[in-house]
Amino acid sequence: MFFLRKYKTIIFVAALLVVALIMISYNLKYGTDQSFSRKIVLEAMAPVQKVLNYSITGVKDNWLRYISLVGMEAENKNLKKQINELKAVLLSYQEGYQEAQRLKKLLSLSNDYNYQFISARVIGREQAALSRIILINKGSTDGLKAGMPVLAPPGLIGRLVDVSWHVSRVLLFIDENSNIDAIVQRNRTQGIISGAGSRGLIFKYISKTQDVKEGDVIISSGMGGVFPKGMLIGQVSHVDRQDGGLFLKITVAPYTDFSKLEEILILSSDETKIK
Amino acid sequence: MLYYLSLPFLSILLIALQSTVTDIIFSGRLVFELSLIVIIYAGFHLDLIRGAILAFVFGFVWDCVGGSVPGLYTFIYILIFLFSFFVSDWLDTGKIYVIACFCFLCSFLKEIILFLFYFLAFKIDVLMNTYFVVIFLQALILGLFAPVFFYLTDRAEAFFYGKKA
Repeated sequence: MFFLRKYKTIIFVAALLVVALIMISYNLKYGTDQSFSRKIVLEAMAPVQKVLNYSITGVKDNWLRYISLVGMEAENKNLKKQINELKAVLLSYQEGYQEAQRLKKLLSLSNDYNYQFISARVIGREQAALSRIILINKGSTDGLKAGMPVLAPPGLIGRLVDVSWHVSRVLLFIDENSNIDAIVQRNRTQGIISGAGSRGLIFKYISKTQDVKEGDVIISSGMGGVFPKGMLIGQVSHVDRQDGGLFLKITVAPYTDFSKLEEILILSSDETKIK
Repeated sequence: MLYYLSLPFLSILLIALQSTVTDIIFSGRLVFELSLIVIIYAGFHLDLIRGAILAFVFGFVWDCVGGSVPGLYTFIYILIFLFSFFVSDWLDTGKIYVIACFCFLCSFLKEIILFLFYFLAFKIDVLMNTYFVVIFLQALILGLFAPVFFYLTDRAEAFFYGKKA
């Protein structure tokens, strides 16, 4: 008893350290927890993040609306020109799409999945040196579940890791812990896309005999069942063949600028098959 | 008691604020970890129990919101608090350069521990040159800002409690 009273401060601090260590080992063994305390913290954090986010967005919008009007006329002209060019491109794509639909019918191929999207707004970014996570303003009450794929047109950006009632955490592809099965669109070479933080993405386990070039488009392979097949991930930005290892060192630039994410889409009913 | 009750709210507010500041100024490329300066300040000024609880709460909130492995930041924050607490007896914590250098060192140490953990637990493949540049810059920014934070906090303390800043 005397011992406990004498060293109570040290015992208390040691207990806090032990609690932290237990949390780490538990989560390493059983994966990221969906604990009640975590949900409470996320729920409490959401309004604060929203207020901060809306105020900053408001200031930003006003800045863009009133102050940066300089050069708007020239930009307008350029945009009109671009619209006309894109209309022409769109027409050719529509032709191609219709042709693909006809061919699909001929080959009796149909969409296997019925995709439904839930839109959400980004309310916070928690980006440490080795982790990239964003907070969104939708949760389990909106039908979200952990593991659902998240998109920001034109491609995938990550998946839900923690879902609280009204707020969720999205683990971005560029997080160092993120790994996705992917293929090269041009020649179907399969590998693993891993997050590399500010460097973007790394396409791993591609042998040196494979033909992968800069500019190749990388899409999800659909393996593992988390992400649907054919979703855009990024474009090969650098291929290093000089290294002594067995595999190529391939850097992939994601299509999305993760620092400018504002609205995202969650693929909600991937597993609903059409009969 | 008020101190312990207000801790969770203050930590949530501070972490939300630091994420927003990081997002605006650095676009997610660097992290401005104001909470780490608070932990070091607590190590220099608070008693062991109050400081350890502060470090635990801040680390836990940061783990819930931004951490990939829950418990990791909690553990590291308590370690940094203990380090600051025991070192404060040996350092002149009123000197600007001492505060700046110590915060730089703690930020750097924290990132090294994080890196070692990720490397040992997940075998992550990090480009060392780029990573060291990032953590060096982060530590530098934190080290430069820390004396300002310490000064402002001392002034606030003097204003509210009438102590000498």
